[in-house]
Amino acid sequence: MAAARASGPVLRPLFSALLFLSCYVFHTVALTKDEHTEELLIVPFRSGQVYSHFEFTTLWDLDFAGSEGPRYKLQHFRLFPRALGQVMAEYRVQEMHLTLTQGMWQQDKWSYPLTSAAPGAELWVWFQREVDDVDQAWFGLTNALSGLFCASLNFIDSTSTVTPDLSFRPQGLAQGLFKTKPSHLRYATLPRENVCTENLTPWKKLLPCSTRTGLAALFHAGQLYNTQYSSLGVHLRPVCQNDSCTDASLELRQVLSTVADPPAVLNGKQDWSMKRYFSRSLSGPCPMAGTSRVYVDVTGNQTSSFTLKPEPTELKVTSYQDYSRKLAVYDLWTFPFHKEHGLNVDMKWKREVAYNQLTPPLLYVHRFVTGYGQEHGGIMSLLYNRHPYLEQQVIYMELVPWFTRMYLHTLKVETTEGNLIQPLMTRYKPGRDRQAPYLLEMVLTLPPDSTTRVSFSFERAFLKWTEYPPDANHGFYISSAVLTTILRQADNFTVPPHMGSGLESGLFHSSSTEFPLCLHTETLLISLPTPDFSMPYNVICLTCTVIAIAFGSLHNLTTRRFQYTDLTKAGSGGLRARLARLFGREKQTTSEEQGEESETSDENTQEKLLNTNSVSEEEIDNKDR
Amino acid sequence: MAARSACVWAGLVFEQVGGFFKSGHTNNWAVLVCTSRFWFNYRHIANTLSVYRSVKRLGIPDSQIILMLADDMACNPRNPRPATVFNNANQHINVYGDNVEVDYRGYEVTVENFIRVLTGRLPPSTPRSKRLLTDDRSNVLVYMTGHGGEGFLKFQDAEEISNVELADAFQQMWQKNRYHELLFMIDTCQAVSMYHKFYSPNVIGIGSAQVGEDSLSHHVDPSIGVYIIDRYTYYLLEFLETVTPDSKKTLADLFRVCPKRVCVSTPGVRTDLFTRDPNSVLITDFFGSVRNVEITRQTVTLQRNDTAQTCR
Repeated sequence: MAAARASGPVLRPLFSALLFLSCYVFHTVALTKDEHTEELLIVPFRSGQVYSHFEFTTLWDLDFAGSEGPRYKLQHFRLFPRALGQVMAEYRVQEMHLTLTQGMWQQDKWSYPLTSAAPGAELWVWFQREVDDVDQAWFGLTNALSGLFCASLNFIDSTSTVTPDLSFRPQGLAQGLFKTKPSHLRYATLPRENVCTENLTPWKKLLPCSTRTGLAALFHAGQLYNTQYSSLGVHLRPVCQNDSCTDASLELRQVLSTVADPPAVLNGKQDWSMKRYFSRSLSGPCPMAGTSRVYVDVTGNQTSSFTLKPEPTELKVTSYQDYSRKLAVYDLWTFPFHKEHGLNVDMKWKREVAYNQLTPPLLYVHRFVTGYGQEHGGIMSLLYNRHPYLEQQVIYMELVPWFTRMYLHTLKVETTEGNLIQPLMTRYKPGRDRQAPYLLEMVLTLPPDSTTRVSFSFERAFLKWTEYPPDANHGFYISSAVLTTILRQADNFTVPPHMGSGLESGLFHSSSTEFPLCLHTETLLISLPTPDFSMPYNVICLTCTVIAIAFGSLHNLTTRRFQYTDLTKAGSGGLRARLARLFGREKQTTSEEQGEESETSDENTQEKLLNTNSVSEEEIDNKDR
Repeated sequence: MAARSACVWAGLVFEQVGGFFKSGHTNNWAVLVCTSRFWFNYRHIANTLSVYRSVKRLGIPDSQIILMLADDMACNPRNPRPATVFNNANQHINVYGDNVEVDYRGYEVTVENFIRVLTGRLPPSTPRSKRLLTDDRSNVLVYMTGHGGEGFLKFQDAEEISNVELADAFQQMWQKNRYHELLFMIDTCQAVSMYHKFYSPNVIGIGSAQVGEDSLSHHVDPSIGVYIIDRYTYYLLEFLETVTPDSKKTLADLFRVCPKRVCVSTPGVRTDLFTRDPNSVLITDFFGSVRNVEITRQTVTLQRNDTAQTCR
């Protein structure tokens, strides 16, 4: 806390902005009991890929906070999915963000996604202030969600859970009854988690129209997963009902993003159509949805490099600080479906994709493993700030599993020119073997036009043999590092973040001057020292042991010459004689004996000491377990 | 008191219309297990999903199917057609489908979890979809596939379940009234050895190969580079595709599903623990969720009887 106070003036702009953004959340739509919105945004990237982002928003004007608890308030479900609502009420969740992602978002080519997600599964939850035992609630929630989304979220335990101090602040309302406690945040990732139809199936069942009609009718698993990147998300948060924020609503955002790569499959052109990439066209809006729209980003079509069919219902231009965005909008409620036999958005390019050097966004990050061998290793992140004259304050979070024991003293933050960067604040929670991961959070100021290197080394732990997974040789994953910041420019965003609900608010409201950003780095795969579990190896080991024991003792017996020795005549020197004297000491009564006695007693005490040592070691072992 | 009178009333109804409840079960459950990890075991996932597809098509809902898959083949980076698992190189049937819910996957498929699911000894936090919530009126289908040997089946190349453990688990289920009838089916090498030790009543065992025999795979799909399905399950699926919820095919037909000339191995059957005649037991008693509905033209008058009678 002292550190926080000391560096207060420096940090204030960042934190106050974060606080500001998280507190004044509102939506400006007409008040109803609950409403559903479905939107699809299609963005052709200059790198040749096409990004499709589905967003389904359900708003429920329901103030679910308070001492009574949500259990009594979340009862009569209409558009909000009951399966999720009940889980939420049971564990008193205030905010929940779950993403299941396959593939890696390429920041340097595609700029920033609408919702950044770590590869694999990522879950972070703010529990309500009234929850007493947060760990218990977290444990119950992860189990319930694992059943709900067919994901292995039940593998989240204390070894993968952390409570970050600086990252992952509430995205929704966090005032009044919704005021949060810092200890009520839980964050965990499962970087190995694979995502497939089995996760999509329960996810789409939460939608009010399921996949029968509306935008969700486009979900064809074979097409959705034949992409470079696909991400499913469920985001719950409380938001203000109106500008004055007297009442709260519950907002559920279900997002699905994919990045398809048309030039790779189709003669080098970026041609994209719903029929080809979702294997069907739209037949109409979801009757439950108040708003049902498809947006196509045609900003890059200044030179009419592609044709868009059919004619959009309207063309909208939004201007941000220094650039404008042009969108073709299809409103499914007004689109003449009866004339057109369904809506099949079709983009046709005149030329093949020209692969130019793309300008990466102003801020991006890469991370990789360094070092070699199976004993030590290191992690290095490169944080790029490409802004020519503005420095950038960022929060960098690193979550390292216990089996890669992080050495904090090796932590080094410097620019590529070699200038050391002093973190404005560092929060470090050391890990414990088999109990807790290592958590490092730092607030860094990245100098303008620079590359900052964050590096540290770790030691690879030996696992107990039952701790190895069945495919230990595949390697072990380290989850993404997370970069949180606030940008001043909206240029690199696919959609500039806006505190309102739905895509529309971000696409058409350009009043904001501060844009919160969260970026995930690559996950890392490392190999730990792994025993050979294969059968030949075990057979060889066993055979060798048997041979060593049998051969050794047989050889010993057959080659040793046994002779009779008279112990009393044996010389006083030598170990054998001393031992003989030791065993036969009752018979001897000389002054030498005293010395012997004292020696043996010394040995005894040493033995005792050894015993106590081994006991304490066992105790430690037990504690470790 | 209300409960008792309801019970008495039910008893009376049963006496009068007992013929309706011929097969004696009221609900169907399925536990489908693939115990193999790694891409070259694609065929085992395809086996399990073939049975999953069939039981789902015949009416068992996802909430009553426990599907355990030890690896992800559908979205495996090596799969040239993501989100699909086929039973055939001609890609006739996508057994993975567009609507699939896997309950235990990846590292969760362990001997411990399997036994816990069967015997119902799960931690209290376990969600409903991961529980086998059967009762004494449940017909349970247990299908397993993987790499096995005489008296054991390997789980994920890391541990194994023995036939004695399996037999004891079924006995526990019986003692805890967790099934009415149980159909155990296994496709692995020396499969019949897995049901030799069974001793619980009302259990049928079907195995794809005799002791000393290997259970063989059907054919390679060059586009994925590995064997696509095992022989026994391939013919089982071919047969089950002809079954409809109202079909009258019996277990005896199921026993003949893969004769030695196509299977190469010799499938085995064990019916000595089963009391009914397999010739009269419908396949849908295990693979479907079919209620017996018989329409009668007679009027059945149900008399209210308030005199105290104990149930049972």
